Amino acid sequence: MTTTTPPSTTTPEMVTITIDGKTHQFPKGTVLLEACNAVGAEVPFFCYHPGLSSPAVCRQCLVDVKGQPKPVPSCYTPVADKMEVMTRSPRAVDVRRQMLEFTLVNHPIDCPICDKAGECMLQKQYFDWDAKLARNDGIKVHKAKVVDIGPHIVLDQERCILCTRCIRVCDEVAKNHQLEMAQRGDHEVLTTAPGHQLDNPYSLNTVDVCPVGALTAKDFRFSMRVWELYTTPSICPGCATGCNVEVHHSRGKIHRLVPRENLAVNKQWMCDEGRFTYKRVHAQRLAAPFSAGAPVEWDRALDDAGKLLRAALDANPLEVGVVMNAQSTNEDLYALAKLTFDHLGLGKAYLAGLDQGWSDDILVSADKNPNTAGAMAIGAGRLRTLLDLANDLKSGAVTTLLVVGTHGVLATDAPSALPLDKLKRLVVIGTHRGHLTEVAQVAMPLSEWAESDGTFTNRLGMVQRVRAAVPAAGDALPGWEILSHLARKLGATMDFTEAKAVFAEAKSKLPFMKEADWGRVQLPVQLRFAGSRG
Amino acid sequence: MDDNHDSTLAPSTLPRKVVLGFQDVEDLTAPDLPTEPLPLNMGPSHPAMHGTVRMVLEVEGERISSADIQIGYLHRCFEKESESATWTQVFPYTDRLNYISPMLNNVGYAMAVEKLLGITKEIPERAQFIRVIVGEVSRITDHLTCLGASAMELGAFTVFLYALKAREWLFELLEEVCGARLTSTYLRVGGVAYDLPPEFDAKLRSIVERTQVVLSDISKLLDRNRIFRDRMDGIGIITREDAVAYGITGPVGRSTGLAYDVRKDHPYLVYDRFDFDVPVGSVGDNFDRYAVRVEEIHQSIRILDQALKQIPAGPFMHPDPRISLPPKNEVYNSIEAMIAHFKNIMDGIHVPSGEVYSFTEAGNGELGFYLVSDGTGRPWKCRVRPPCFSATEVLTKVLPGLFIADVVPTFGMINMIGGECDR
Repeated sequence: MTTTTPPSTTTPEMVTITIDGKTHQFPKGTVLLEACNAVGAEVPFFCYHPGLSSPAVCRQCLVDVKGQPKPVPSCYTPVADKMEVMTRSPRAVDVRRQMLEFTLVNHPIDCPICDKAGECMLQKQYFDWDAKLARNDGIKVHKAKVVDIGPHIVLDQERCILCTRCIRVCDEVAKNHQLEMAQRGDHEVLTTAPGHQLDNPYSLNTVDVCPVGALTAKDFRFSMRVWELYTTPSICPGCATGCNVEVHHSRGKIHRLVPRENLAVNKQWMCDEGRFTYKRVHAQRLAAPFSAGAPVEWDRALDDAGKLLRAALDANPLEVGVVMNAQSTNEDLYALAKLTFDHLGLGKAYLAGLDQGWSDDILVSADKNPNTAGAMAIGAGRLRTLLDLANDLKSGAVTTLLVVGTHGVLATDAPSALPLDKLKRLVVIGTHRGHLTEVAQVAMPLSEWAESDGTFTNRLGMVQRVRAAVPAAGDALPGWEILSHLARKLGATMDFTEAKAVFAEAKSKLPFMKEADWGRVQLPVQLRFAGSRG
Repeated sequence: MDDNHDSTLAPSTLPRKVVLGFQDVEDLTAPDLPTEPLPLNMGPSHPAMHGTVRMVLEVEGERISSADIQIGYLHRCFEKESESATWTQVFPYTDRLNYISPMLNNVGYAMAVEKLLGITKEIPERAQFIRVIVGEVSRITDHLTCLGASAMELGAFTVFLYALKAREWLFELLEEVCGARLTSTYLRVGGVAYDLPPEFDAKLRSIVERTQVVLSDISKLLDRNRIFRDRMDGIGIITREDAVAYGITGPVGRSTGLAYDVRKDHPYLVYDRFDFDVPVGSVGDNFDRYAVRVEEIHQSIRILDQALKQIPAGPFMHPDPRISLPPKNEVYNSIEAMIAHFKNIMDGIHVPSGEVYSFTEAGNGELGFYLVSDGTGRPWKCRVRPPCFSATEVLTKVLPGLFIADVVPTFGMINMIGGECDR
């Protein structure tokens, strides 16, 4: 006999229930379905979602409760004291099987062309709970196949199993009623609310929660079969919130980002804008080191950069400025701060980053940089703004500049934003090609967020782990590694060999990283064998 | 004319330098030359080292004083590769274990997965009979290859051609069954991929009849052949104790008098319904291994004869769509079958977590599969117990004391198959 005591002790009152002959204790008010699944008596479901309310419309989670004349929907029933639940009684199993058969009657035979195939809950539940061949060969009810319901999403009404999860995502997460059910019976369809389209900033969550392939993302559909994808847990670089994500990639290319549950940060959701941040990993990348406008070997580029900086330091260290970036990981920032302040003793350091943007009180932060908090903490009051940099450049106070991370350095309306004409020496370590890398004497390729291991500090001060999902574009290297090489060229000793070592040193020196955890090594898992996604 | 070539010179007065016939080495009038141990490399690329194996022999003159058998030249990561293939996708890999009797490997693997799934008793009877039939046909091809190749290496090329002629008839029959001579991939978890082709019964009976003629020809050519017997009799003796100690099974084990046959001792499929004998040897030498194999072919023919009489009609795949692919017509026309097909192909059969050891009688003896599942569609671990591994190992003990030339028949009769031994 096992007795499970949930970690939550905030609910004082516990009730004792029996699930499949074993007694368990749960806090009063726990939903029966969660209780069953927590103790391994797995109950299938479609409409239930841990982050949403339960309307009990799919009837897939029916279980037998002693004393009840009919099976009850476990997603809608709170546990009660002395309740006796039978999730495996012949009747419960049979009604669930019949519900699946009923759901499948009008389901189109789309698996080969359906984007959800491979992570489809209907496939999974059929395999786990039905596994009988069809008894019905009637003609299926046909509905609209391709309905353009918003900027990011296409609806296939035939595939919809009417679970209403997407409606609840719009209502409860995005707080925007944009989807509705129309018609009745087997003609019931999902459709947009009158006068609306599905365009809220959280609309793509409806695709994630859709148990079947009714809602598909325009960005992802027909681009990749899901079971071929590998998943790497990481953090969205889109804003200071730091939503936990899974990076889905294959053969060095990222195909999509999906939210990963973290109840303290983003629950099960993320915004549409964040999902598209992966695109910058593959676009307009600086792929090779350049020196004097020509592609060169790493060694040559580092040599040239070292000579330039050495000449500037010898001439007048006060005229040397360093630009950090709030898009960089804590590790890159730590290495750069160590080089700038400790080894070279420079005074002029500036913090760049993407411009402020829109925000809401759900997830989106106005700060579009994932690591502003980390940069501020590492800078410890020594960082100036880009405005200061513009003034210093105009006045000629800074004639040599080392830029690490190019995001937002030249803002939007490019060359005019920063007066670079008075600069004598410019060394850029950047991810993307642009005006900055073109005018630099030496430009070196920096790996993007999805290509390097490290940590981001979000707006709540939580240090979260970023993992390398895909190989770096071209010859790009992580910032800490480039800076270690550069430090050697400048006569300083900073011999980091792996990101974890930088992390460990930063953790021992910086108070805000005291609690940070590097986590275990995680190899990418192919979704077909991940066992978690349908 | 030179005097030395005078035809009148009596032969007896000439110094004897050439020895003919079967005189013992000790009879040579030439004095023993002092010898010292000489390392001699045999293989991995040597005509007699079928399956790429390397032997480092230490010889004193013609005698072997020690033998170091080095396997691994045909290692193809079967076990590791299996871990990233679905349960069904492992079948083609098993074809390439003992590649002259691939059906028997298919049977061994399929039965291991079925044991882990707990559906051993639910396999349709027809599928079990088909497995026995194709398995026994494979056993015959296995033994014919071994006999023919060994005889050829001792100079009897005719026997090789006869044996391979019969083997070819059987391979062609198997090709009709599954589309390939060697790379059969015929079995599936839960049954077999296709039913037997039309006229299979008559064709097999005709082939068996002709094969028996071939066997009798081979026996006439070899059984009382002085050259063959001299190189087989009393050569490469493995004792019964060694067979037990080394874990040798199959024809090699039985040649030592060890009457162990998985089909008899732990009957699987429908082997308990057939009347057949397990031949055993008495000396454990090469000739015993030859004789056991010949007799096993006859016994396999007996089993085939009974199986063809008893085979029932009916389904040849397990009915559960979670295990077997539904009929194509259903797949294209119903969502249930489509999902089942899709999940089986893309995710693989969901085998419950656990571990299992399952063993069957393959051409070389007890072929074991040790499988571990973590509940996903692929093996977490797929370990093979190759029967010829232990038989090859015992050569280290058997070869010392023999002549270099004895390596050829001894190794041939062990029937080491690189694909199986090295995996």
